[in-house]
Amino acid sequence: MDNACESPAEKVTETVESDETAAAPVAPRAADTDGIPEETDRDGDVKEAAAEENELKSQDISDPAATEREDSSLTPAAKKLKIDTKEKKEKKQKVDEDEIQKMQILVSSFSEEQLNRYEMYRRSAFPKAAVKRLIQSITGTSVSQNVVIAMSGISKVFVGEVVEEALDVCEKWGEMPPLQPKHMREAVRRLKSKGQIPNSKHKKIIFF
Amino acid sequence: MADEKEDPTFEEENEEIGGGAEGGQGKRKRLFSKELRCMMYGFGDDQNPYTESVDILEDLVIEFITEMTHKAMSIGRQGRVQVEDIVFLIRKDPRKFAQVKDLLTMNEELKRARKAFDEANYGS
Repeated sequence: MDNACESPAEKVTETVESDETAAAPVAPRAADTDGIPEETDRDGDVKEAAAEENELKSQDISDPAATEREDSSLTPAAKKLKIDTKEKKEKKQKVDEDEIQKMQILVSSFSEEQLNRYEMYRRSAFPKAAVKRLIQSITGTSVSQNVVIAMSGISKVFVGEVVEEALDVCEKWGEMPPLQPKHMREAVRRLKSKGQIPNSKHKKIIFF
Repeated sequence: MADEKEDPTFEEENEEIGGGAEGGQGKRKRLFSKELRCMMYGFGDDQNPYTESVDILEDLVIEFITEMTHKAMSIGRQGRVQVEDIVFLIRKDPRKFAQVKDLLTMNEELKRARKAFDEANYGS
């Protein structure tokens, strides 16, 4: 059961990372700020606590900077925008550096089985040629390389969502991996009700 | 009980891999079998996932790509699939959106690095 528990936590780490890099201006208001906890298996908490700390640090640094810029010839609104974007960039860079450090510490403390799984997670990808062929057979025209890259990336995230949900279902039903088709189908049914699975075959009637 | 009824028929479909020129779901050649196995292991499944599960996932992925492509063709520039359309379709899903942005940024960086490397070689 180690594996089943470990990998969702890993994925949460990745998700938390991407969520934080994407939503750096909206700082997470975590209630439990115990500083940086020593244990490494509560990855989500580590990340949130680090983000809080970073937010406080950058706020301290930005105050003297704000007073400096009062002498510039910008209107107050423009000044505020400029300071805001600069703060966000600094915050983002600090969050990136901290994240990289924390990832390094985490990966260095993996067991061999976890390392294997992490390697597979990072390295597995859809073959670009097959994806390009598939897209071109649907559109009938050629597509650029960036489209293929984007589509393969999204598909991998999609597979991750389905597999994670299926592992949740499997655990909830008290069964062990490997995943069986019934877990996958239940996972798809759940994701469909959440709206994660695109389906344009069913025409929705809004008013009648 | 419904699962037991469904599973044998599903297995039958998969036995006929490559048999016949019909383009039906079960008879199409498996495009992503190897990669999907590695991916499932990476995301938390067993080291040897069931073939039926891999098949279900492959069908799901192909359907997903098909839907996204059709949607992308219907917005923006009609009849063509462009990166902006994909990004627009994904905007509500935070994970996928962040992933696409990261991938495209990294691709640009790699291209720049390769170009700089080639120019350095050409100069010397």
